[in-house]
Amino acid sequence: MASSQGGTGKMVGAQVRRVEDPRVLLGKSQYVDDLDLPNSLALAFVRSPYAHARIVSIDADAARNQPGVQLVLTGADIAEAIKPLRVEYEPAKAPTHKPCDWPVLAQDKVRFVGEAVAVVVAADRYAAEDAAGLIDVEYEPLTPVSDVEQALAADAPLVHEEWGDNVMQTLQAEIGDVAKAFQEADCVVSERLTTGRHMALPMETRGCVASFEPATDTLTVWSSTQVPHVLRSHIALVLDFPEHHIRVVAPDVGGGFGQKGHLFPEEAVSAHLARRLGRPVKWIEDRRENLSASLHAKQQAVQAELAIRQDGTILGIRGRFVGDVGAYSEYPWGSAFEAGHAASSMPGPYKTPTFSFEAVSVATNKTTIGVYRGVGLPIGVLTMERLMDLAAQKLKLDPAEIRLRNMIRKEEHPYTTIIGAEVESGSHRESLQKALDILGYQECRAEQHRARTQGRYLGIGIGCYLEGTAPSSAAFASMGLNLGGYESATVRMDVAGKVTVLVGTHSHGQSHETTLAQVAADELGVPLADVKIIEGDTNAVPYGMGTWGSRSAVTGGGAISKASQKLRDKMLRIASRMTEVPDDDLELAEGMIRRKADATPLMPIKALAHRVLVQAGSLPQDEEPGLDATAHYEPPPSTHANATHIALVEVDSDTGKVTLLRYIVVEDCGTIINPTVVDGQIQGGVAQGIGTALYEHALYDENGQFLTGTLMDYLIPTALDVPQVEIGHIESPSPHTPHGIKGVGEGGAIAPPAAIANAVADALAPFEVRVDAIPLTPERVLGWIERHKAAA
Amino acid sequence: MAATQFTERQTIRVRVNGHEYEREVPVRRLLADFIRHDLGLTATHLGCEHGVCGACTIIMDGESVRSCLLFAVQADGAEVQTLEGLADGDEMHPLQQAFWDNHALQCGFCTSGFLMSAVDLLNKNPQPSEEEIRHGLSGNLCRCTGYANIIKAVQAVAEQSQS
Repeated sequence: MASSQGGTGKMVGAQVRRVEDPRVLLGKSQYVDDLDLPNSLALAFVRSPYAHARIVSIDADAARNQPGVQLVLTGADIAEAIKPLRVEYEPAKAPTHKPCDWPVLAQDKVRFVGEAVAVVVAADRYAAEDAAGLIDVEYEPLTPVSDVEQALAADAPLVHEEWGDNVMQTLQAEIGDVAKAFQEADCVVSERLTTGRHMALPMETRGCVASFEPATDTLTVWSSTQVPHVLRSHIALVLDFPEHHIRVVAPDVGGGFGQKGHLFPEEAVSAHLARRLGRPVKWIEDRRENLSASLHAKQQAVQAELAIRQDGTILGIRGRFVGDVGAYSEYPWGSAFEAGHAASSMPGPYKTPTFSFEAVSVATNKTTIGVYRGVGLPIGVLTMERLMDLAAQKLKLDPAEIRLRNMIRKEEHPYTTIIGAEVESGSHRESLQKALDILGYQECRAEQHRARTQGRYLGIGIGCYLEGTAPSSAAFASMGLNLGGYESATVRMDVAGKVTVLVGTHSHGQSHETTLAQVAADELGVPLADVKIIEGDTNAVPYGMGTWGSRSAVTGGGAISKASQKLRDKMLRIASRMTEVPDDDLELAEGMIRRKADATPLMPIKALAHRVLVQAGSLPQDEEPGLDATAHYEPPPSTHANATHIALVEVDSDTGKVTLLRYIVVEDCGTIINPTVVDGQIQGGVAQGIGTALYEHALYDENGQFLTGTLMDYLIPTALDVPQVEIGHIESPSPHTPHGIKGVGEGGAIAPPAAIANAVADALAPFEVRVDAIPLTPERVLGWIERHKAAA
Repeated sequence: MAATQFTERQTIRVRVNGHEYEREVPVRRLLADFIRHDLGLTATHLGCEHGVCGACTIIMDGESVRSCLLFAVQADGAEVQTLEGLADGDEMHPLQQAFWDNHALQCGFCTSGFLMSAVDLLNKNPQPSEEEIRHGLSGNLCRCTGYANIIKAVQAVAEQSQS
């Protein structure tokens, strides 16, 4: 199944404009808040102002008596009706994992500022919020657990009493004789790093509309979600309502980046209320709720070491990642995923003979950590790439050279990494070399020296990564997580020869209506305009896992290819009988059934479609009527994309401000379906990574009070902060996937923290600054410079 | 604490995309909610409701404004343009066309605000430099595109108007 056999191969790889754009540009897209159902009610949640407190009493009488208020519910009122969100791992595979209950409305105690305590249902959002303000909750404050150090202390207060400590999960691995490697090394470098508490921050906040039809006993939930079927299954589970009576629709979704790949308490409450009240309910969170009560990401404290030979060869890596997972566990994946993913990503594209890591996920009284574009990789890659620069500095090697010496070479593929991943193909050295060429590395170094003599501090930073894209079902099973990595698609042809594709992925900006149509168009030999992609409606599309993990091109594309092949085989079989040309000698291309050898058109596809679907009486007796096929595609254990990022920065030594002068990415996501879309994903991912590196941090004070509740406090990059990324491409197709596709969604966001941190460290080398924390805010950078000046 | 003080209503007349509307609204109703839910013009989006993200940007009496920071009653007697009023039927405005041609949108949620800010920018400065475009759009947040293609799209329209 190495490549397409069916189409002309013209659409995969083509630079076509997006199919989805006109409706958005003309204002006709429909996001969840655009849905105003008749007779609808609005929800507002009462949220905890305390990080850690016991709920003594809740007085909702005043709220209940407000005009327009239909219902007020507290945790006690729904404890029986809605099960808590509880992430379960297979104990045999994850023996150290401790599950916890995330009640959809707090029971007995609250564990973070922003936790939902009660819900008001009223005529509109104004009335609901008015009433929410009248609910009087009496709290008995408890000592909050505000950071991981405190959380791990022997006498720490407990976030979840039943655990006995605050550790959600500890993952450990030692592969090879690491101690010996460190003993025998010529050089050992080590680093402690702390990272910010970041967040996905989609421009559309979370939200849903839920409606119940008693006549058909059907619950419909329209949600701004990345994972419609996952939502359906888990709503069924927590409400104990039959799944075949639930329909979930993800309409247009205004960005997700991981945050919307979950079932949230508010969605479960909304679904319950629609059924309970027999009226549609709408919940649209405000930005403060999104900042404080959705999911955070990535905050870790890292200690890592690299053992290296005089010639720069890596002998061993040790890493300890302590993740601050907050109060609960992202449902249904689990928040401990993050630190383990960061730790195991450290070796990246470098040949590493020995490796040990520990990933400790620690609960605190903060908002729960969840997946955000790249998940643990930005932190794992930051750590490794800092160590590579420190080693280069110590060994007086060029930072590019030390990387080139250790990278997996093209001829070594398939290469099995130290963690057992088979890297099927790639361009590690080539992407680095190409990025250096685009930058003009030597000229840049010369410019850096010239600038320094003028008191200007330029820095060049490299970040290289290897990303396992589109994880398989087996990959999740090995972690003890019951989650599929496969995808499903149904491909249908109508009487006019046009194609409808129903697929379980879900686009929230990724351009699937275009790119997946490109795949189907090639497979079935029809024009792009003759293909319509449908996603997001569980009543329409087969069971699928949604969109996350750089998976949709591989798995959605794979399922579409596989289903199209089934359909194509049938079409060619029937065409063969009609044309008396053996089916092996036929192909579908340019809307025609053609003779493969000389491209002679024999009959239009639409004529065949009409014959099969309408004039079914003329079908051969051994053929079933119908022109549709469904396939489920399980990807290889993992596909591997790679890239090199290079940042050229200038640091203002008077203000600490970091300016990005240039940013270069050479990416390899295997076969490119649509170059415009790939470039767009890279540019956008890099912008998010710039935020991670320079600006973003969800802050708490020592009492666990949330301090960054507006977009004036939690800063994301603007048009003034993101340069035009200079993008180069190398295509190393996967030998294992249809078309050789690997996946690109998360890649852009993975390496910016590494490249930018290295560039800032390089710029500030004269100040002997140790870049050991992100974000690199002016305040932090200036502090480093001033500390050096004070010591000098 | 008495929420009833907010129940006062007032009749307003607003011209939106060339249509005259006369409606009675609660005095505290946000202009954004009025446009979206009372008039059903849902192309205007709300991303923060505190005036930072710019998703709700519209044109009011010739100026770009954030409809989440205004009450509907403040638009009484005003001329308002939203994204729905930008195209001529299905004929895209040059900015809409340029956004399409340059892949200047991904999820599309911020797009309406960017288009309206860009309309305002080009009205006031038909030939902006890249720096001026970046400044002109710096009050709009996009989390998907990394801005580069949005800037290219605006540049493309500025260049067209020059030629």
